[in-house]
Amino acid sequence: MRSRSLFQLLTLIGLAALVLTACGGGSKKKSSASSGKSGGTLMTVAKGAPSGSPDPQINYTLQEWQLLIITHDGLLGFKRASGTEGTKLVPDLATAIPKPQNGGKTFVFHIRKGIKFSDGKELKPSDVTYTFERLFKIGQSPNAGTWYNVIVGGDACVKTPATCDLSKGVIADDAAGTVTFHLTKGDPEFFDKLAVPFGFILPTGTPNKEVQLPPPGTGPYKFVQYNPNKQIKLVRNTNFKEWSKDAQPNGNPDVIIQKFGLSAEAEVTQVENGQADWVFDTPPSDRLNEISTKYGDQVHVNPLTAVWYWAFNVRVPPFNNLQARQAVNFATDRNALVKIYGGPKLAVPTCQILPPNFPGYKPYCPYTKNPGSGKWTAPDMAKAKQLIAASGTKGASVKVNTDTVETDKALGLYFVGLLNKLGYKASLQALSPDIQYPYCQNSKNKIQFCWSSWYQDYPAASDFLNILLGCGSFIPNSNASPNIAEFCDKGIQAQMDAALQQGITDPSGANTKWQAIDKAVTDQAPWVSMFNPKYIDFLSKRVKGYQFSPQWYFLLAQASVK
Amino acid sequence: MATFAIRRALWLLVVLFAISVLVFLIFFATPGVDPARQMAGRNPSAETIKNIKHEFGLDRALPIRYGLMMKHMFISRDLISYGSHTRVIPEILSATPVTLSLVFGAAVIWVIFSILTGVGAAVFRGTVIDPILMILALIGISIPVFWLGEVVNLVTQSRLHDFFLFSWVPPLGYTPLTQDPLMWFEQLVFPWLTLSVLYIGFYARVLRANLIETENEDYIRTARAKGLSERRVLLRHTLRTSMITFVSLFGLDFGILVGGGALLTEVVFGLPGVGLLTYNSLTALDLPVIMTTVIYGAFFITLANALVDLLYAWLDPRVRPA
Amino acid sequence: MAVFEPEAEGIVLDAEETGGDIAGRSPWALAGRRLVRNKLALAALALFVLIVAVSFAAPVYSKHVANTDPFESNISGTVTIDGKTEPVLQQGGGKLGLGETPIGPTWHSHYLLGADNQGRDVAARVLYGGRASLEIGLGSALLASLVAVVFGLVAGFFGGVTDTGISRLMDLIWAFPVYLLAISLATVLLTAPNGLNLGIFNVSASSLWIPLVIIGVIYVPYVFRPIRGQVLSLRQREFVEAAIAQGASNFRLIFREILPNVASTVIVLLPLMIATTILTESALSYLSIGVQAPKASWGTIIEDGQALLYTRPTVAIAPGVMIVLTVLALNVLGDGLRDALDPRSKVRVK
Repeated sequence: MRSRSLFQLLTLIGLAALVLTACGGGSKKKSSASSGKSGGTLMTVAKGAPSGSPDPQINYTLQEWQLLIITHDGLLGFKRASGTEGTKLVPDLATAIPKPQNGGKTFVFHIRKGIKFSDGKELKPSDVTYTFERLFKIGQSPNAGTWYNVIVGGDACVKTPATCDLSKGVIADDAAGTVTFHLTKGDPEFFDKLAVPFGFILPTGTPNKEVQLPPPGTGPYKFVQYNPNKQIKLVRNTNFKEWSKDAQPNGNPDVIIQKFGLSAEAEVTQVENGQADWVFDTPPSDRLNEISTKYGDQVHVNPLTAVWYWAFNVRVPPFNNLQARQAVNFATDRNALVKIYGGPKLAVPTCQILPPNFPGYKPYCPYTKNPGSGKWTAPDMAKAKQLIAASGTKGASVKVNTDTVETDKALGLYFVGLLNKLGYKASLQALSPDIQYPYCQNSKNKIQFCWSSWYQDYPAASDFLNILLGCGSFIPNSNASPNIAEFCDKGIQAQMDAALQQGITDPSGANTKWQAIDKAVTDQAPWVSMFNPKYIDFLSKRVKGYQFSPQWYFLLAQASVK
Repeated sequence: MATFAIRRALWLLVVLFAISVLVFLIFFATPGVDPARQMAGRNPSAETIKNIKHEFGLDRALPIRYGLMMKHMFISRDLISYGSHTRVIPEILSATPVTLSLVFGAAVIWVIFSILTGVGAAVFRGTVIDPILMILALIGISIPVFWLGEVVNLVTQSRLHDFFLFSWVPPLGYTPLTQDPLMWFEQLVFPWLTLSVLYIGFYARVLRANLIETENEDYIRTARAKGLSERRVLLRHTLRTSMITFVSLFGLDFGILVGGGALLTEVVFGLPGVGLLTYNSLTALDLPVIMTTVIYGAFFITLANALVDLLYAWLDPRVRPA
Repeated sequence: MAVFEPEAEGIVLDAEETGGDIAGRSPWALAGRRLVRNKLALAALALFVLIVAVSFAAPVYSKHVANTDPFESNISGTVTIDGKTEPVLQQGGGKLGLGETPIGPTWHSHYLLGADNQGRDVAARVLYGGRASLEIGLGSALLASLVAVVFGLVAGFFGGVTDTGISRLMDLIWAFPVYLLAISLATVLLTAPNGLNLGIFNVSASSLWIPLVIIGVIYVPYVFRPIRGQVLSLRQREFVEAAIAQGASNFRLIFREILPNVASTVIVLLPLMIATTILTESALSYLSIGVQAPKASWGTIIEDGQALLYTRPTVAIAPGVMIVLTVLALNVLGDGLRDALDPRSKVRVK
């Protein structure tokens, strides 16, 4: 069965210091590209292949992104390091991060010379234009129309992909070795968008339709096999010569394999027996005690800039009533929810939208007993009951909507019980994971209370606040309306727009604005925020040099098996 | 006989058509199902969804969509899965050897043991052995196969794994025979045993009942009267007649299993066979794979039905095939 | 006085029966006698009744003995055994402290068999689960039998095109993928805003009617085949020809002459059908497409136990044992009924 992590774990992660709770890379460790000996095969296992197309400009899963970062490069990249360092942008195929010109609408990148694709062709600036035109031409890239239409000519490309022409937006000069980007407006997140695999450069001539094997890239490895039923295999790119240790360090293993088909239980057993080096999926809950006691040294736990939450529908009774929403927030025992997820070492309770260590984050929790510290401590049932009474919504029937994955269903059952205690008539509606997310998004389904989670795309507060709670993200009667709560507050939206504008020139000033926005939205209680989860990496005994990047999680190529 | 074969072949096509249409309709009637949206990923723009819809022909009318799917499946054989965006037919082809390995191995075991048990119970009736064997058989058919598999896993993988009897048991999964025959065997031993428990019980009882029924037929009494030894009577006459029912039932069950009926065993033991593929595609609402596995399964079930009816008609001309 | 020679009349005797025993008794009374004499079958019947009784006493158990609500999460709860208070869900060990493990069997009235992932009392849930599994098993077996009898009578009696048509329909149902139907129906009903509205009926998503009807429909062909076969052969018998000669209508023929003779087949099949439907329901629930949360059945509890298999196997083992005992009892009972109603299939002592 497809793992939830494949569906939801879409990633780029945030800024600032990470507090690590177990052994393994900490913010104090320096990034070391080759901390071990090179050679050997890194054998990894996953329940299934990355869901969706293998095409690097279509696939939106962490599972594939972890591999694409070592086979391909963008003009910029996130520093291949752990801790805060790993959230910084560094030049990759470009020689330097360009200064914005023309009010942030023009950037000139100088392309490094002498970089070769794995098929021997040399990287030229015109490959960049080709790559971005292809992004639109294949028609299936999820974010072409939302992220990259900021490029001049992008909107026209969205309308008629087949004839996409970005000659005015991405101007390549092979002789001078430069690429000039023209944007329609200033975009504080443009560099982030260049540093994710959608923006990784492909050779000119790559077919303009979905491919079954990622095309040649400039990274230290190349894909030689992509069989979704059997395995993915990466081998060294013999044409690679390291040009920047920060952006694209050389890798240690000679071969990286990811095998599919085993259940999570079997995968854990394989790692314990040394038959596999790393398992992508979360270890099943009944093995957690076993691996933390018997194999503690091989387990690494790292916090994620992600949030698990329940979205109210603020336009449909009973939760169109603010007091009702606040009541549920006060009544929720977040410790119990943490227990369901796997205990306090695996999740940290939260009341707000933004996760810790994120731009614009300031601890804030009004929905606890004795609020004021910013931390959640305990539920306040008395206050909750008071608010319910004042709201007049008692007795309403509520459908608690979640998916059929064990943990998510368990969280749903908890809330069914809680809502019943508060005087509602709650029932559980557990849908298949493939249906549940779009179902919750579509306003015509009139959901009342939906489970969801969000893992950051890149370190920007708007990635949470604007995308999930902005007026523009609520599209009525559409299966693609990320604002499940249907929340739209004109005043708060104005603040968000101002912060976005300010972010082009003054990121830290903008972040202060985002803090206030986070607080304002949390006060409106469009969600019951539950907790910020952590990530478990379980490695075999022989793996050395483990590093956890806040962007890409376990850096596969930097580990060594010799 | 020829008309019978032709009629049944036509019927097979009718069944496949009817089931495929039904599957198609049920799929698109299921609320919340939007394959284009599913394929589009996490946060797609409306245009992306539109493009995908067009690419996969999802914006056409239902009958046309059905026709396109059948064309891709049978004629151009390049049907694409909604989930992995790769071809479905190779997916099924790589899952088939797993299911066949499981089902053939289990079948060998259950045929041998059910014959031994059934014949043993019939031969030793009147003694205490008969009821004991029959109670064991009854227990066998009373155990849910997925539960038995879980318990077997618990014992062999966890609780008694260090015990010499089970320390050789490898982690769950499947290794192709051509790649590592020993591992292939080791990984299939317990799935074989688990799957066959149910069928040993069932077929032992069927065989015993048939043997005893046939025993009282006149022609058996004649054989005895002629002075043939008991064993000869049993093996040459009684057993042979009883095998007709045995073989017919076996054909039906085998057909179902090959068609993906061993789904539960595959799920519990993590064997990537056709059954698991069917189940995964159903829960992931991946219509092309669902359609292909359903047609594959229905084909084998109906084929087995037809072959068994043919066998009956051939062996017993009194029975007109319905 | 002529001695009553049963064999000469074509009546079949059971072992140990004499002509005197059976003289003057109706076939049903005879069957009842034989059944009662079959100790094993009686024991099986007693076991089955016991299981049913215990399952339906679930509310009593959970309220007065276990003191829990087995459908409500009890994540943060505690339990006191012999003066010691322990949390129901306990954090994992080692310096990493990962995971939460529910308590195991306490062998006391509270959490007799331990807790599951939600902190619920497993023993109480197994009893409630029995209710659901038995209700569905019995209901769907009855439904399948009823529908199969109707179709079997019609197909076997009228023959010809009707027979072919119905038989082909049955073949189609038999070849249909059970799991697809179950998943789809489950999804349709789950997403319908207020359950399924069929005129006067309103079926909620977690209603037991859904798996009941699905399983009932699937097994119609299974019962249909033998019924149809029997109706076909009965139709040729003399007593039917006699009734026709007397001018009996089709209706009368079917209901007065044929149906009573078919009844014994159905009665023999019924326990076996219930056994089969219970197994099927548990399989569907195990795959999450049968009984839906928060309702429990033995299959759903086994599925809950799957995630706890390595640490708390009791959760998976207990409901499985219940299924085995119930189905075993039904199978033995079915054998006994068949022997009672048709002793020819029983062993003859030489």
